[in-house]
Amino acid sequence: MKSPFLEMYQILEAMKNQDLEPALKWATSNSDKLAQSGSDIVLKLHSMQFVKILQNGSRDEALHYARTYLSPFASSHIADIQKLMGSLLWTGKLDSSPYHALLSPSNWDRLAEELKRQFCNLLGQSYNSPLSVTISAGVQALPPLLKFMNVMVGKKQEWQTMNQLPVPVELDSELQFHSIFVCPVSKEQATEDNPPMLMSCGHVLCKQSISKMSKNGSKLFKCPYCPFDVDAALCKQLYF
Amino acid sequence: MEMDSLPNGNNTTGTPIAAGAGANPTAPPSSNLPQLTESLKLEHQFLRVPFEHYKKTIRANHRAVEKEMSAVISGVTDAAAADFSPDDAVNHLNSLVSRLQGLKRKLEEGSLAEHLQAQKCRARIDHLESADADNLSEWNNTRLKRILVDYMLRMSYYDTAQKLAECNNLQDLVDIDVFQEAKKVIDALQNKDVAPALAWCADNKPRLKKSKSKLEFQLRLQEFIELVRAENNLRAVAYARKYLAPWGATHMKELQRVLATLAFRRDTECATYKVLFEAKQWDYLVDQFKQEFCKLYGMTLEPLLNIYLQAGLSALKTPYCYEDDCTKEDPLSQEAFRTLALPLPYSKQHHSKLVCYITKELMDTENPPQVLPNGYVYSTKALEEMAKKNNGRIICPRSGVECNYGDLMKAYIS
Repeated sequence: MKSPFLEMYQILEAMKNQDLEPALKWATSNSDKLAQSGSDIVLKLHSMQFVKILQNGSRDEALHYARTYLSPFASSHIADIQKLMGSLLWTGKLDSSPYHALLSPSNWDRLAEELKRQFCNLLGQSYNSPLSVTISAGVQALPPLLKFMNVMVGKKQEWQTMNQLPVPVELDSELQFHSIFVCPVSKEQATEDNPPMLMSCGHVLCKQSISKMSKNGSKLFKCPYCPFDVDAALCKQLYF
Repeated sequence: MEMDSLPNGNNTTGTPIAAGAGANPTAPPSSNLPQLTESLKLEHQFLRVPFEHYKKTIRANHRAVEKEMSAVISGVTDAAAADFSPDDAVNHLNSLVSRLQGLKRKLEEGSLAEHLQAQKCRARIDHLESADADNLSEWNNTRLKRILVDYMLRMSYYDTAQKLAECNNLQDLVDIDVFQEAKKVIDALQNKDVAPALAWCADNKPRLKKSKSKLEFQLRLQEFIELVRAENNLRAVAYARKYLAPWGATHMKELQRVLATLAFRRDTECATYKVLFEAKQWDYLVDQFKQEFCKLYGMTLEPLLNIYLQAGLSALKTPYCYEDDCTKEDPLSQEAFRTLALPLPYSKQHHSKLVCYITKELMDTENPPQVLPNGYVYSTKALEEMAKKNNGRIICPRSGVECNYGDLMKAYIS
């Protein structure tokens, strides 16, 4: 487990010194897997190398590099390649050209992050360490839980032994990994036995609420949001 | 595992910090700021421990000064009252002078120690104030390492804690020096020696008494049992008369139970008394000591790691986490975390939070969910992208069903 990460950090160290060799080597050896996951990092790495060669002022070398490495991507990323070709006109003077944005250091940071993401993806690992994700979730969950405990000082029930947390905890969107549907009528979370159903008006209720309101499918009822008559039989189950 | 509510420590230190962080004029008003303030309020232990340590050092230095001063003053009055020959008087006064010089040295050392500790408190306050939206991820990283060091110290992995602190320059932000004090006592207890523990109790007598601690009593009981184990019954009785009797008023039942071991001897088979002779009693003493120690310094009774992990795992736990296709970004897709989370409660939500299967982004009013004819739902962004690349055709990634972008129905979810 340790050695792939060592390799990754070595590549990132080299990139910090603007040396793309290890990164390019890694990318070419894993190019088919990267293409499969739909990532264009190989193109991005080659483009960055191209810009570097341009800055050193050798137009022929840059052109040769483009012909060898950028041409395979011509069909899929023609717009990006056109931009790079335009910058050929300002070999060695890119900072005074309309293409000076290609030189900004934030490109390196973004490329490093993208590389880290793809590397971890290929390893089957998450981008953020699970421990730090859980601790961030804990930091967000503790204030409401502590407030609850201070309020419930009399009742001796420990929150750890409950089946569900007693208070709702709002987590950041980065910590939201699964879809949770809460029925606006019963305030219950959807489960396999009680899935969300789409009514013909576009609003969504859980199955049990619909059967309750329609008296087990026997009559039409009014959607609680819009004055639309809903037939329970026409409701479609949703899969998030 | 019992979680206690974080000790309501010095509120005077808590609120100004939070107010300071919130009223920082140069901080950009981001939505993270109230959350940051809330997370700073959880850092009671961080500020309280060096503060308690500082108070203790001040008190100890003060006591030493008082002692020396009163000794010197009484020496002077003795010399004035007694009838000394000139030589004797000079010698006596010289000894008093050297004593005062010793006191001066001690005061200098004490002052240096106090200064260092005040600096440590200052460093921690600065660290809390330095948290803002720009360096948030770095600050969070430091917090994670602090939590790990705290765990290692509590579980007695002192060398590892030291290494981690050194590698990341956390020495001022963690309490390794405080735990060194505990280490001495714990090591001794594990070698079946109660002397350092009793010394610690004597040092902290007033505060232990205030919290009605039984630690000293239990240490004395254990010594008594060791005497009985060595069959020194007469000494055991003398010991009990001297040290255990004062506790009889408050803890009579326990006292009676242990005293009965005099009759039962160390190889007794009777269950009630056999358990008192077991080696596990020493482990129990170590735990008791750790609890009292943490309480004294204003630390949480459980390691911070346990508290944060329990809260975090519970907030993240949904029934979907245990399925095979759970995304690997979710910590609960890992076997170790799943096992940890098994006894914990599921998370609770009052409002729907929907995540698009394709982009993994939230589907809200800006990016509403759209429904395919077969009931599968994806975000508008993902479906628009797909339609653009495929001439308006939509292919469901999960069911393989095809349809046109125009066949999609918008769902309205609050």
